[in-house]
Amino acid sequence: MQEQMTHLARAGFSRESVLALSERLGEPAWMREFRLAAWETFERLPWPAPADPEWRRTDPTMFRLEGIRPFADAPAGALPASLQQVVDAWQAPAGLLLQRNSQGVRSQLDAGAARRGVVFTDLHTALRERGDLIRENFMTTCVRPDETKFRALHAALWSGGALLYVPDGVEITTPLVSLAWIDADGVGIFPHLLVIAGQNSKVTLITCAASPPGDRPGSSIDGGGPGRVEGQAFADPVTELILRDGAQIRLVTLQEWGSNVAEIGIIRSVLARDAELRSLLVGFGGKVVKTNVESILDGPGATSEMLGLVFGDSRQHFDLHTLQEHRAPHTLSDLLYKNAVKDRARSVFSGMIRVLPGAQKTNAFQANRNLILSGGAKADSIPNLEIMANDLRCTHGSATSRINEEHLFYLMSRGLARAQAVRMVVEGFFAELLDRVPLDDLRARLQREIDQKMADDADGNGKGEIPTRRPVRSEERQPAL
Amino acid sequence: MADLEIRDLTVQVEDKVILKGANLTLSKGEVHALMGPNGSGKSTLANVLMGNPFYQVVKGEVLYKGQDLLAMSPDERARRGLFIAFQYPVSIPGVTMSSFLRTAVSARRGYDKELMPVGEFQKLLKQKMDELKIEPAIVSRYVNEGFSGGEKKRAEILQMAMLEPEIAIMDETDSGLDIDSVKVVSDGVNRMLERAKGAMGILLITHYSRILHFIKPSYVHVMFDGRFVVSGGPDLAEELEQSGYEGIKAQFEVIAAEVQAEGAVRRAGKVFWVAH
Ligand SMILES: Nc1ncnc2c1ncn2[C@@H]1O[C@H](COP(=O)(O)OP(=O)(O)O)[C@@H](O)[C@H]1O
Ligand SMILES: [Mg+2]
Repeated sequence: MQEQMTHLARAGFSRESVLALSERLGEPAWMREFRLAAWETFERLPWPAPADPEWRRTDPTMFRLEGIRPFADAPAGALPASLQQVVDAWQAPAGLLLQRNSQGVRSQLDAGAARRGVVFTDLHTALRERGDLIRENFMTTCVRPDETKFRALHAALWSGGALLYVPDGVEITTPLVSLAWIDADGVGIFPHLLVIAGQNSKVTLITCAASPPGDRPGSSIDGGGPGRVEGQAFADPVTELILRDGAQIRLVTLQEWGSNVAEIGIIRSVLARDAELRSLLVGFGGKVVKTNVESILDGPGATSEMLGLVFGDSRQHFDLHTLQEHRAPHTLSDLLYKNAVKDRARSVFSGMIRVLPGAQKTNAFQANRNLILSGGAKADSIPNLEIMANDLRCTHGSATSRINEEHLFYLMSRGLARAQAVRMVVEGFFAELLDRVPLDDLRARLQREIDQKMADDADGNGKGEIPTRRPVRSEERQPAL
Repeated sequence: MADLEIRDLTVQVEDKVILKGANLTLSKGEVHALMGPNGSGKSTLANVLMGNPFYQVVKGEVLYKGQDLLAMSPDERARRGLFIAFQYPVSIPGVTMSSFLRTAVSARRGYDKELMPVGEFQKLLKQKMDELKIEPAIVSRYVNEGFSGGEKKRAEILQMAMLEPEIAIMDETDSGLDIDSVKVVSDGVNRMLERAKGAMGILLITHYSRILHFIKPSYVHVMFDGRFVVSGGPDLAEELEQSGYEGIKAQFEVIAAEVQAEGAVRRAGKVFWVAH
C-alpha cells in the first residue's frame, strides 16, 4: 500500500500536487481547503476490495492509477479533425461546453438564455463568477467526498467540469450540450457536472464523453499486472443534479470512450417536490466502466424516469448500479435498463429500490432486459429491494435471453439475410426504450452506433456468431407488496 | 418439370417422426388445397418447405424450380419467390411493420445495399393495404405485437401481396377469421392470382372447406398421420365436408394394417399408400 502511494505521488497523486493544482487555478481558499480535506479522506479510505459487495463483479485492480497522471493540459491551437467532428455532430444547441483532457476549451451559450439568467460554463469560471452557488452546492448535499475512495479522489482533483444553473421559472427548449474529450496518453480526468434547476424551470442537457478509438480492450485485461497500462486513460466523473420544486430536467448521458478508458463515476439526482427527471444513460465505450445512477426522490410528487441502454462488445465490461430511493410520499420512479452484450463483453446490472418509512403511495418500477449475442458474452442482473413503507406499488423484473431463433426465422422467411435479421431484432430490442426519448437526431445517431457495433467483428475467435440455443433464463417477478 | 416437387419427405422434431414420406408436386398457376385433421403434419410440411431450423429432414428431397430447396437458407428461398403465411406468426418486439416490410420487399426485389426508395414503397404499401382493407395504423405498430388473431392473418396476407411470391403456402389463414374477413382475404388472394397471370402457385392449407368456396383449388389433398393419403379434384373437399375425416381414418386404418403385413402399394376406397 505504502509502495503504491509512493508510485502515485511520483505520478502527481499527492497532497502537494493537490495544493499546486488549486494554486495554479487561482482558487479561493475555501476550495483549496475543500480539496485538501478530500485528499485526506482519500488517503484515509481503503481501496476497494474484491470482497466488497459493490465490487463482487468488477475487479478493483482495473482502476489502478499506475501510469495515470491527474492533470493534462489541452493542447493549444485548433481542434484536431476527429474532435471537431464530435463537436459538429451537435446541431445548433442552446449552449455547448467542451472539456479537452483536464481543461475547458469551448464555452458558448445562446444569448437569450444568458439574458434570462441561465449559467452554463466551466466550473472554474463558475467558481469565480458564482462562488456562492458552488460553495453551497458543490459536493455538499447530493454527492459527498467521503462516500468512496474514488469520490474523495474526485473531490481533491476535479478540474474542467461544468455548471448549469437555470433560474426559477426559466424554460430552455433547445438542448444544451456538454462534451468531454481525452486525447492525452495516461491522463486521468475528474470532470464535475453540477446542475441546479430552479423551481418550475425546464431544461434538456446532453452530455457526451468521447475519445479516439484506442486499442482493443482486453490487451491489458489479459495481462492484468501493473506496468501494462501504458496508453490507458482514466475517468472519475461526478454528476450532481439538484431539482428544486417543480423543476423538469431531461438528461442524456452518452458515453463513447475509446477502448483504452477505464471509468468509475456517479450520476446522482435529488428531486424536490413535484420535480421531474427523465434520464437516459447510454454506455457504448470504454474498457471497463463502473457507473452509479441514482435518483433520490426527496419531495412529494417527484418523478424519475431512468432509462439505460448499454451495448458491450469485444471485451468491454460494464458494471451499473442504480438506486431508486423514495424518501417522500406520492413519488414515482420508473427504471428500464436494456443491455446487449456481444463477443466476450460482460454487463452487470445491480438495481436497488429503497423506500423509506413514510414514503407512502409510492410507485417504484424496475425492469432490466439483457440480450446475449455471442456464446462468450455474459450479463448479470441483480435486483434488490429495501422497502420500509407499506402502502405502495413496486414491481421489478429481469430477463436475460439469447436472440430468439423463431424471430430470426420469421424475418428470414421474408428474405432478410441472417445478419440483417439479427440487426433488426437488436434494433427492436432497444427500440422499446428509444421510443420513450423524443429526441429524433439522437435516436438516429444511437441507431447508427448500434448498427456499427453489430457490424464490427471484434472478437478474434467468436466471429460474432449468434449461438442457436434457446433462451437461457427468463424470469419475471412481481411481488405483491 | 413441376416448380415444386416434394419426394418422400421424412421429417422429425426432436425424436418424433412427423412427416413419414410425403410426396407432392405443385406448379405455378395451380392452387392445391391441403386438408387433414389437427396434428397430421400440415404445418410441419409448410415450415420445412420454408426452412425452419427446428425441424430435421431425415429423408427425401424437395426440388424448387429444379434446384435443391433443402440446401437453401430460408432467406434465399424467400428471395427466390417462396412464401409462407404462418398459422401462428410470431411477434417481434420493437420492430415496426413498416421498417420490416420495406426491408423485406427490398430483399425480394434484389436491392443490394440500400432499400427500395421510400416513396415507391409507401405507394405500394398503401395500395395493398387498401385492397386488403387493413387499417393504415398497423404499419407503425411492432410486427404482430398485440395484433388480434384476425389482424395477424391479414398482416400475413399483406406481406404475401407485397412480396409477390411464385409459390405461396397459406397455413390455415382462414382459421379464426369471421366470414367477412375470409372474403376480404380470399378476394385479395384471387386478385394476386389474377395479376400473376399463371406465375403464382398456392398450397392452401386448411382444416375446413369454407375458404375453398372462395379460393377455388385445382387439386385437393388430404394428409393423415404424416402422409398424403388422398388426392383428388375440388369435389373431394365437398365430400370431406360431408363425411368428416372419420371416413378417411377408417380406410386408412385398414390399409395401414395391410401394408404392415405385406409391404406394398395399397388402396382402399379413396385412400392409398405407397410403401417405399
Ligand atoms: N414444434 C414442435 N414441437 C413438438 N412437436 C411438434 C412441433 N410441431 C409439431 N409437432 C407435432 O407434430 C405433429 C404435427 O403437427 P402439425 O404439423 O402442427 O400438424 P397440423 O398443422 O396438421 O395440425 C403433432 O403431433 C405435433 O404435436
Ligand atoms: Mg397446423
